[in-house]
Amino acid sequence: MTTATARTETPADEGPTRRRPTSRRRSVRTAERRWGLLLAAPATLHTLLWIGAPILVAIILSFTAYDIIHPAQFIGLQNYATIFTDELFWRSVLHNVIIAAIGIPISMFLALVFAVLLNRSVPGQGIFRVMVFLPHITATVAVAMIWLWIYNPSQNGLMNIVLGTLGIGPLPFLTDPDLALGAVILVTIWQGIGLKMLIYLAALQGLDGQLYEAADLDGANFVQKFFRITVPMLRPATFFILITSLIANFQTFDLIYILTEGGPANSTSVVTYRIYQTAFQEFRVGLANAQSVILLLILIVFAFLSRRIVGGTDGD
Amino acid sequence: MATETRPTTAPPARGGSREKSLRSQKRTASTAIMVFLVVSSLIMATPFLWMALSSIRDPTELAKVPMPLLPQDLRLENYTDALTRAPFAIYARNSLILATAAALLNVAFGSACGYALAKLRFRLAPAIFGWMVACIMIPFYATVIPVFLMVRHMPLFGGNSLLGAGGTGWIDTWWALIVPGAISPFMVFLFRQFYVSTPSELIEAARLDGVSEFGIYTRIITPLIKPGLLTVALLSFEAGWNNFLWPLLVTTSDNLRVIQVGISSFRQEASTEWHLLMAGTTMAAVPMIVLFLIFQRYFVQGFAASGIK
Repeated sequence: MTTATARTETPADEGPTRRRPTSRRRSVRTAERRWGLLLAAPATLHTLLWIGAPILVAIILSFTAYDIIHPAQFIGLQNYATIFTDELFWRSVLHNVIIAAIGIPISMFLALVFAVLLNRSVPGQGIFRVMVFLPHITATVAVAMIWLWIYNPSQNGLMNIVLGTLGIGPLPFLTDPDLALGAVILVTIWQGIGLKMLIYLAALQGLDGQLYEAADLDGANFVQKFFRITVPMLRPATFFILITSLIANFQTFDLIYILTEGGPANSTSVVTYRIYQTAFQEFRVGLANAQSVILLLILIVFAFLSRRIVGGTDGD
Repeated sequence: MATETRPTTAPPARGGSREKSLRSQKRTASTAIMVFLVVSSLIMATPFLWMALSSIRDPTELAKVPMPLLPQDLRLENYTDALTRAPFAIYARNSLILATAAALLNVAFGSACGYALAKLRFRLAPAIFGWMVACIMIPFYATVIPVFLMVRHMPLFGGNSLLGAGGTGWIDTWWALIVPGAISPFMVFLFRQFYVSTPSELIEAARLDGVSEFGIYTRIITPLIKPGLLTVALLSFEAGWNNFLWPLLVTTSDNLRVIQVGISSFRQEASTEWHLLMAGTTMAAVPMIVLFLIFQRYFVQGFAASGIK
């Protein structure tokens, strides 16, 4: 603003402004304030109504017994006590943890390999990037539908054709409780590589080329450069990807809904699916809200971690 | 890129043969990389290829054991059959409306709020910005039940009383599909980031020239962030097109069903007819793929900007 006042006073032809700069500045400030509020209002009110209020409602309903038809009844902490002993809910949490623990590291490693290779100028670079990224932009419903067909238990499912050539199978991937979670994890790995690769690519492009040149002069080979320079320099990106992947993992829903509906024998149920079941199939809306609050608490922990990391690099 | 930069003044004479062996080593390395990339990205694309191949196969061929890997003859009727078996055209139209509305509303209101937070000084700005960031962290799945209840009990809609009882509210209406998700706090955040990097001097200059505050926002600063506008439009469109749980919960009639819900219910109705199912899935997947291929650059940019720099 100081530069602005300096400017208002320099041009000779702006008579009135020059004579009364303070009042002019004051009216600009008022207009700024008014328009600031006016432009920010729709989005702010919308989020207050559709995110803020629902959070409050969720917390309130989590202390009630409610089945949509009858009025809600306050029951204190009983829902939370129920969840505490709800084996299926915690199994669902555990499935999220297992999917994350196996899927995320593999997917991150493959993403890093793709990113490093596609950061070099290779012919067809754009096509390769697109092929790796496509699973991410395609709707999870469509993705799940495709994999449903790939996992088809008859010998004509692609997976069983491939295994057949190796002399294995056919295996009932999605109907065998021992195989279903693994089948789900494979899809999450495949689907997750693209976005992680993209973030790694963005991070790689920000790296300092001089380090590599120095390493080249010292005769470092590709593998040495990868582990000594690339991996350490990518640590912020790695941490960022890890946290955001953990958050996304706890929001897996579409995939489970289409592929397995949580089955067989609840072997692939995840938190969001369990909440969906509790609310919209069992109509225990109060309990489902308590489950949502617990999911929210889990995610807030991750979100705060990521906020601290992203906050640090937030380029204003 | 950096890894490929070699010192231009390579050591001459002394390493003639060493240089040559290095070069051939490099050539085998890049061949190996090429082979790896071709094979692995083909594996990545295989599910899509499998979908496309299955969508044009004859159903009798799908039942044959062993099935020939490549379709014996093209059967494009699968698509017309799928269209007559389920109203995919209506589903696609609904998705298009939903996705377009999401894109327009997010661009309009998200940019307004983003601009105000980035460039205008008013007392509530820091609080609103903090609120938006907090909202980003709140997953839709944690609020989906209350949002559903709010929509169902929307007063004076769908036979509801003033207190929101008695009827179905916004359930099975366009209101329910569009309004609750109309403005995403993440898009506001993204817009703010785009606006922050525009020059404030322009605003000051425009004020001196007597341009109104609204004019500065719409005619002077916003045109500077066209790639940002496109990014948000694309991301919102993608989210709208790919949305599943919410439309599943609030729509019941075919007239309002979106394509992702359409194919998922089509599966239950036609569970063994994989040729039709894959034709439907292709119709649901291809528009986003085409859009991505056209605007690839902006998608990448948007994702990069939304993450880390």
